[in-house]
Amino acid sequence: MTDPLLETSEFDPAQNGEAEKEAPRRRYKLKDDTGFDEVPKKYRRFYRKWAGPNDELAPNEVICPVCKVVIRSARDLRPGDRVYCMPCFSRLTVVRSESGRLEARVLY
Amino acid sequence: MSVETVEIHARDHDAFLKEVHSFEFWFQSVEGYLASHPYGVDPSAPIPELDESEKEALIATLSTYCVGEVAALDGASGMIGFAPSRQAKIFLATQVVDEARHLEVMLHRLAELGVTDAEGEFEARANRNLLAFRKKLGEFVEAKDWEASVLAQNVILESMEFAAFHSHIQTADPRTAEMLAGVLKDERRHMGFGENDLGRHLAQAPHSRSRLQEIKKELDALVLATFEDSQKALGVPASERTGVGRLYLDTVARLGFES
Repeated sequence: MTDPLLETSEFDPAQNGEAEKEAPRRRYKLKDDTGFDEVPKKYRRFYRKWAGPNDELAPNEVICPVCKVVIRSARDLRPGDRVYCMPCFSRLTVVRSESGRLEARVLY
Repeated sequence: MSVETVEIHARDHDAFLKEVHSFEFWFQSVEGYLASHPYGVDPSAPIPELDESEKEALIATLSTYCVGEVAALDGASGMIGFAPSRQAKIFLATQVVDEARHLEVMLHRLAELGVTDAEGEFEARANRNLLAFRKKLGEFVEAKDWEASVLAQNVILESMEFAAFHSHIQTADPRTAEMLAGVLKDERRHMGFGENDLGRHLAQAPHSRSRLQEIKKELDALVLATFEDSQKALGVPASERTGVGRLYLDTVARLGFES
């Protein structure tokens, strides 16, 4: 059983009007297979450990700048998207850095 | 309803905050990594043999860690009484439990290392700068100064511990590393609470920043000296010690404090 507040089958981060509107987003079927164990079981698939600077992130992943966990989304991430880091309670927004990489910034 | 439809990032911020500041969230989180791990370790794992110099360095370091844990245990429990919201009180109640567990597992590890009266001896072996830091934190809590207490405990102390434990895990014996890894997972919540609570507070009360900047400046000297001494004791090369403090410096920079 899942929390009714989390029923988001129609959720698209781009619908908030701030995210880049380009090609349709690729969807990802996230699985609880990364060994991440720091949040309740139903949320574990949204996070994984960061393996350091050589850890290449997928298009649906960003690193939490507060606690250095990799945050995963069920869709490609784009600038303007909001993500939550549950292990450290942070709300973040996705930005594109000068290097072209997607990064997360804390929204207090 | 299928679990495949769950998307945590779509949640309303207030609902998110309510959930992560609950005892239920805490319980389901720690269950993942503490169940069946008495004193934070796999009971079937062997106790590694250390030579005398390694043992002495580890005893001194764990003694310093114990002071940090006692500081946070006393600090968090005192802060419950003047926390500004029910969510903050509940979070701090979970932090008190975490800190008590950290102290317990570290005292247990010290006993495994041959310290006969770990509880009675750790202060004498601990870093003097951290003892001074603990005294300052106690003064903020005694004065019911919420913003200074959060800065000192959940931003400065917790960031320092997170960075120190993360660095130590890379070189520690397997048993100590496993124990510290469990502690580190708790620290994510503690420092995240601190940065986010203080960040929201400063957005509402920007005039507080200059006073907190002065407090930070005073505490920085104690924190960075503790960092330096602990890293030196663990044999971390001088060239790598700066990197360990980076996480702390990044945290305070995000909150708008100068270093």
